Amino acid sequence: MEVMFLDAAYTGKVKLNQATLDYITKKKYRKIGLYASVQFCNQLAEVEEQLHKLKLELVTSQPDRTHVKGQLLGCDNYHNSLNLNQDVDCYLYVGDGRFHPLALVYLQKDNPQLKEVICNDPISNKMTLMGVKDIETILKKYRGSLIKFLSADIIGVISTIKPGQEQLRPSFQLEKKYPGKKFYYFIDNTVSFDNLENFNFIEVWVNTACPRIGFDDQEKFLLGVINLNDALEAKEILSQDSLFNRQ
Amino acid sequence: MVLYSTEVEKVIERIKKSEAKLVCLQLPDGMKTYAKEIADKISQETKARVLIWLGSNFGSCDIPLGLSKMRVDLLVSWGHNFYHKKVEGW
Repeated sequence: MEVMFLDAAYTGKVKLNQATLDYITKKKYRKIGLYASVQFCNQLAEVEEQLHKLKLELVTSQPDRTHVKGQLLGCDNYHNSLNLNQDVDCYLYVGDGRFHPLALVYLQKDNPQLKEVICNDPISNKMTLMGVKDIETILKKYRGSLIKFLSADIIGVISTIKPGQEQLRPSFQLEKKYPGKKFYYFIDNTVSFDNLENFNFIEVWVNTACPRIGFDDQEKFLLGVINLNDALEAKEILSQDSLFNRQ
Repeated sequence: MVLYSTEVEKVIERIKKSEAKLVCLQLPDGMKTYAKEIADKISQETKARVLIWLGSNFGSCDIPLGLSKMRVDLLVSWGHNFYHKKVEGW
């Protein structure tokens, strides 16, 4: 079977509204990390020109799983996936919705300080801001799940069969890292939240499917869930000075 | 006003070129209302039978599985581009 992907580019004009420009000026941000979802990322010429007029330095990158520079995916919620090798004063996201820009907040969870995420939606022509307050409740629960993971003996590891998300083999590293724990591996088409409770011998879950499931769907896991890469570095994550540990 | 470009002409060209007989359309939630218009246009312009994917389209990591077993020749997925999977984990 052949697969054809279409960007579904936004048909309107992509430019920053005055509120966004005024806000960046007021905050005296100088170095901006610019990202957009695929519907907008090929139409950023005018945005770049607007920011250059304000003499701002623009930086961007091509995150690991994306196809073009400046494109942001919702699963870019870990800092190393951005491939951005320099510091910025703030992030600027161009696009609609909250799912994508929230990744820019999540990816800072292990940093000592948060860089503000400014969202400019060309469809509604509105600016919104995102910060720790948008994820603090989730981070508190996630931290509880991470602590629980360290003391748990029986862990359920969830993989899904979708080729883009499947991370079964990397999850086997858990056995080497935690030889005292017993891991049971579960496989599904997509994560069936309703079926989790049927496996009542599991103490806590490790998610290896979409990394946003570990955060956004935290409440659907009554026993708690953490993502695979956090499970592999649980002690290190809990011991550092970070936004995550200050929740 | 159509907010997102559907590029149906590009799809029709691809169907004709590949002589696809069974085509599945996968749209993100924000574009599911476009399904009728796209399906009608493809049916008018090509000989392909059109299926519409009912479920999710969270990303190009989320393409439907099992379509080949149903002899679907072409899956058209809107709202995402090619996904470069990291085999060693996230």
